[in-house]
Amino acid sequence: MKIRQSLLMKYLLIITAALILWPLVLPIYYIPKEFLDNEVKQKIMYLDTEKLEQMWHREASKLNGGTPEKINKRLQTLKEQYSMATMFWVDADGNTKLMSPNQLKIPNQWTLQDSVEFMKKSVGTGPFTIVAYIGGDSNQGFMVFQVPHTLTEPLSPSFIDDMYLLAFGFLVFALFLFISWLFFSKIRRRLVQLQTAMTEAGETGIPDKVAISKIDEIGQLGQAFNRMIDELTKSRKREQEEEVLRKQLIANISHDLRTPLTTIRGHAYSLQKESLSPKGEESLHLIESKVDMLSQLLDNLLSYTLLSAGKYTIKRKETDMMRLIRASLVSWYPVFEKEGFEVDVRLQEKVLVWNVDPQWLTRIIDNLFQNVVRHAKSGRYVGVRTEEKEGRNVVVIEDRGSGMNNGSHEKGAGIGLSIVSLMLKEMNLDWEIESSSSGTRIYLHEKI
Amino acid sequence: MRKNLLYIEDNKEIGAWVSEDLTERGYHVIWLTSGEGAIGHMESADLVILDIMLPGLDGFSIGQRLKKEFPKTPILLLSARTSIDDKLQGLHFADDYVTKPFHPDELAARVEVLLRRFGKISPPLIQLAHISIHLDQNLIVDSRLNVEIILTAKQFQIFTYLLRHPNQILTKEQIYEAVWGSPYMEGDKTLMVHIRHLREKIEKNPSQPQIIETIRGIGYRVKQ
Repeated sequence: MKIRQSLLMKYLLIITAALILWPLVLPIYYIPKEFLDNEVKQKIMYLDTEKLEQMWHREASKLNGGTPEKINKRLQTLKEQYSMATMFWVDADGNTKLMSPNQLKIPNQWTLQDSVEFMKKSVGTGPFTIVAYIGGDSNQGFMVFQVPHTLTEPLSPSFIDDMYLLAFGFLVFALFLFISWLFFSKIRRRLVQLQTAMTEAGETGIPDKVAISKIDEIGQLGQAFNRMIDELTKSRKREQEEEVLRKQLIANISHDLRTPLTTIRGHAYSLQKESLSPKGEESLHLIESKVDMLSQLLDNLLSYTLLSAGKYTIKRKETDMMRLIRASLVSWYPVFEKEGFEVDVRLQEKVLVWNVDPQWLTRIIDNLFQNVVRHAKSGRYVGVRTEEKEGRNVVVIEDRGSGMNNGSHEKGAGIGLSIVSLMLKEMNLDWEIESSSSGTRIYLHEKI
Repeated sequence: MRKNLLYIEDNKEIGAWVSEDLTERGYHVIWLTSGEGAIGHMESADLVILDIMLPGLDGFSIGQRLKKEFPKTPILLLSARTSIDDKLQGLHFADDYVTKPFHPDELAARVEVLLRRFGKISPPLIQLAHISIHLDQNLIVDSRLNVEIILTAKQFQIFTYLLRHPNQILTKEQIYEAVWGSPYMEGDKTLMVHIRHLREKIEKNPSQPQIIETIRGIGYRVKQ
């Protein structure tokens, strides 16, 4: 990033501009007036009284010994220059000469009394007055220059007096505020945009990249964010590829093991049609049941591998439990029937909705029923019901077998239950097992 | 008439055994070891049994192609791939999914259900206890007195729905949703009332039904 593109630079520019401009506010206000307004221009001449005095005295000394005509002419010229002033001169005899403009209060013939009165007035309330002896000599008479005090007083810079100046100052201040506001609101808007872009996840679950328009601090932040998104997308892709590969591998292993099992199963079935001794029949039956068990075990083993590696994708949704259990029972009923089980179903008539993955839950119930068929055959009973226990809705699966700890438990049931346990945990469900020699009860419920 | 089954399986041992078993059960089986040329046999096939792991095109691709061209021919996937993902992918186009190793009786039963569901086997007459049903004529006759049993539209729909899924348990919500076409509400007694009226018409003794069996807590079943 070049330093001139940075926000810091921009902000410093604004501040500097304000600092430089502020002292120029008054001149900028007045300068155009000075050029445009003659009156003001005139007024300026009277501001510096000292300069006026010097000028008047200089003129007076220049007129040393001048004829009245000469003095008149000079005063007329000066009058043209200082049009707002009152000028007159008094000759040595006390006669007022060339009064411009005419003033009634000034006597035509000066007495001593008049002089004293005039001086007193000019010091007190009267206009600003300059008196100079012509030629610096009191015998040649004197000349007078009068200006109203309003002209000699400095121009009022007071904001209160000058509404336009007040408005102008306010306008400049507002302009500065507006530019600052514009600057910061632009930064703010971009930051908010960036925040929104970072928060909203795109199709892949990762936020989309942001569009970068300027290469300043915020633009750089956006670039860094985009780089992060790139990395994230890459690693997500890699992860997905690995997942696919792993699933593929496991599916292939499963497939390759099942194919010979199918052949064994087929040949065992063909053998059944041959005439066999009772011992042969028994062996065949054993082969068949072990093939079934092996296939079940394979399934469980592979599921367990995927589950424990967290590679089983879970899709939780609001699921009607009664419907799901009934659907499971439909597929298991013929098995139970064939094995001579009494199937006792008491499901509540109210809807029971759990937030679970229906595929997983079906798998859980399958595993539990599988265990009942395999290990609780002696009880010839399976019960499925809903109960209220400690204010919670509980699904109960009950058998009247010899219990989990009493021998009948063939090896392999363990992994089925481990899968149940893992899946329940993932779905925020909990379970309890009550098992005795007269049967097993399994309670499923939502975690609180 | 013998039904034609098209069977695609690359494993020689399994293929030979399944073909033989199905032939013994009265089907005419055409067994191919890959998907090549399968389309040529589709015209005459009543049902396709398809493996997934095949040399060349896999069963998913073949099945989808066959289903697209012959939507009225049922496809049964028979595979050693057991993962849920595979089943879901398969059932997108296939009509049933059986995993290996399987029991030949189960395969045969599923083949028959599919054939029946797709109308490949039209049962001219179903005899259940004392009543005979002519499904093609929408006619139900009490064979003891030879009088027609008149059912209301809903009763008839429920009964034929059960008949079309012989030996299967159908849950209350399945029946309700198939017949009424709207979602079943838990606790709704409408279906129960209809079944009771239906039984009063077809059963000898409605309190001890012989034809429509109640599977307590689950649903109903008609055994054939």
